[in-house]
Amino acid sequence: MALLHVENLGIHFGPPEDPVRAVDGISFEMAAGETMALVGESGSGKSVTALALTRLLASPPARYVSGRIEFEGRDVLRLPERELRALRGSGIAYVFQEPSSSLNPVFTIGYQIREAIDLHRPEIRDVTGEIVRALDTVGIREPEKRLNDYPHQLSGGMQQRVMIAMALACRPRLLVADEPTTALDVTIQKQIMDLLKALKQQSNMAILLITHNFGLVADFADRVLVMFQGRIVESGPTAEVLRNPQHLYTRALIECVPKLGQKQRRLKVIDYAGIN
Amino acid sequence: MNQTNFVHESYAQRIWRRFRAEPFARNGLWTILVLFAVAALAPFLANSHAIIRVADGRVTFPIFPSLEPIEWRFLLYVPLAGLAWLFRRRLFARPLGGATFLLALVILIEVWLVFHHVVNDPTNDRDRPAAFKLMPLVPFSPVETASEPFLPPSWTHPCGTDSTGRDIAARMLHGARTSLSIGFVAQSIALSIGVTLGSLAGYYRSWPDIAICRLIEIMDCFPPLLLILVAVSLFESQNNMFYIMAVIGLTTWTGMARLVRGEFLRLSGLPFTLAAQAIGAGDLRVIVRHILPNALGPILVAGTFGVASTILLESSLSFLGFGMQAPTPSWGDILGESRLYIDFAWWLAFFPGLAILITIMSYNFVGEGLRDAVDPRLRIK
Repeated sequence: MALLHVENLGIHFGPPEDPVRAVDGISFEMAAGETMALVGESGSGKSVTALALTRLLASPPARYVSGRIEFEGRDVLRLPERELRALRGSGIAYVFQEPSSSLNPVFTIGYQIREAIDLHRPEIRDVTGEIVRALDTVGIREPEKRLNDYPHQLSGGMQQRVMIAMALACRPRLLVADEPTTALDVTIQKQIMDLLKALKQQSNMAILLITHNFGLVADFADRVLVMFQGRIVESGPTAEVLRNPQHLYTRALIECVPKLGQKQRRLKVIDYAGIN
Repeated sequence: MNQTNFVHESYAQRIWRRFRAEPFARNGLWTILVLFAVAALAPFLANSHAIIRVADGRVTFPIFPSLEPIEWRFLLYVPLAGLAWLFRRRLFARPLGGATFLLALVILIEVWLVFHHVVNDPTNDRDRPAAFKLMPLVPFSPVETASEPFLPPSWTHPCGTDSTGRDIAARMLHGARTSLSIGFVAQSIALSIGVTLGSLAGYYRSWPDIAICRLIEIMDCFPPLLLILVAVSLFESQNNMFYIMAVIGLTTWTGMARLVRGEFLRLSGLPFTLAAQAIGAGDLRVIVRHILPNALGPILVAGTFGVASTILLESSLSFLGFGMQAPTPSWGDILGESRLYIDFAWWLAFFPGLAILITIMSYNFVGEGLRDAVDPRLRIK
């Protein structure tokens, strides 16, 4: 059985007479433990899709106009508030784009991880030990000391590691990483991606990586979905899509990534007129 | 990186440490505490009765029979609370036992107060001969005609006397209770209403926001002083401090509500709110545990400034003759009286004005100190 099953999902914003179709009838499936990438440019509906998975997108302003989202057989869009809260974190956990503003500035990182554990794993006795382990897992050195640090005392890469530790502390079945490296510089980007890769190998957690960068996708995801203007225009095993892109937009996106050893004066600019 | 990182420090401890590091804030807080102590101990600082009197071989404590129930409560409950805190470990070793013991004590005190009669002895101990007597610092009651009217400050009357010959120093000491407690309680009422409504409006937006904002606008259509005057005159002959507290609190919360709403609008749009929701935190938890602490700085600052302006508001009410009714003293009341005699009796305006100035300044210093202390991003020490 699929872990996640999205069918004909439609999410609109704005007036019903003339809606903005942020997500326009998309369908996909994810199996347990699978890593999948959702690729597309800004405004293509990636993040809206990600947030919709646990109904994090407030309605209003968003309207869930059609389709269904099934997580482990349960219909998320019709789940009562209480079960939805239980699902958030322990079923599907998130890592967001901006680590510096995703952490609450007035609490220590230890406190924030503790909250995640308290909410979803109340059976744990030695919470502090668990927090230390969580920080250790994401490669933070001397976690016992860092515990009492405030977010502003950490670098961006460290903050993102803390966000990942917080997400993992809930032991989710699906981790949604919504552009986890966009706000970080390239070396840190690589470290974070390596960390996610290592975590993927350690646990049976499914990962949905959302990005606009095809370069990140190649050696990370088993499968890839390409989104464009609220629709999925192409999907398939990563290697295949990269080798033989069918859709013009996918081809254009792949060409946007500069390649090593290839002399190119300018990067290609996507020609929207040709695609539509 | 220094060694202090090893020591765990809670949010409150850190605020306190940073707050103490600021001399203005620290001294402001001390001033306020001293003022509250003066207000609490007013009957022992200014009274026409002696604290201890030895005459005819008998030792008496003439002050105590004249104490009101509320003063008894204060005298008994504050030390009781202190002792309970001091012995909290032993007292609550068996939670039920400690609580029952305290409850029994409170019931005992309350029952005793019901049967306790306040004796209002119009005589004073100043002129009455005795073998030994310990008079309060200011040996006058705030309501008695002690001397000639309009005596300028002297050794007997350090702040002079008013138009009916009452001692201003005694009235100031007792008036501190009215002004300080009205400022504090009324602002607490305004704060709780403002924070609750403001956070609901700012967090939920859409229709709760619309409803609350319209309510705020309706309230703001009327100047608060006018609203208070109407409310006070509707229930005139009410010389009850709690009544004035409630009226002021219920009419001055709009500014706080607006401020909190704005803070919540800003903060609930930030990613950490979404992150909190994404780990499964419910609305109440997000509001109280995640957003409110971030808004605490401006709320505390506005709250302390609010106390200051509430004290001013109470003073203007008394000045206009709608506050606490005579003979209950309050700073505004003394100030209000002064306006008729300002051309020759400067001390009538000077001392209550000074007291109000010092109080308000102290509150403002504390407010500013708190603002700096609650913000972890400001790096002071």
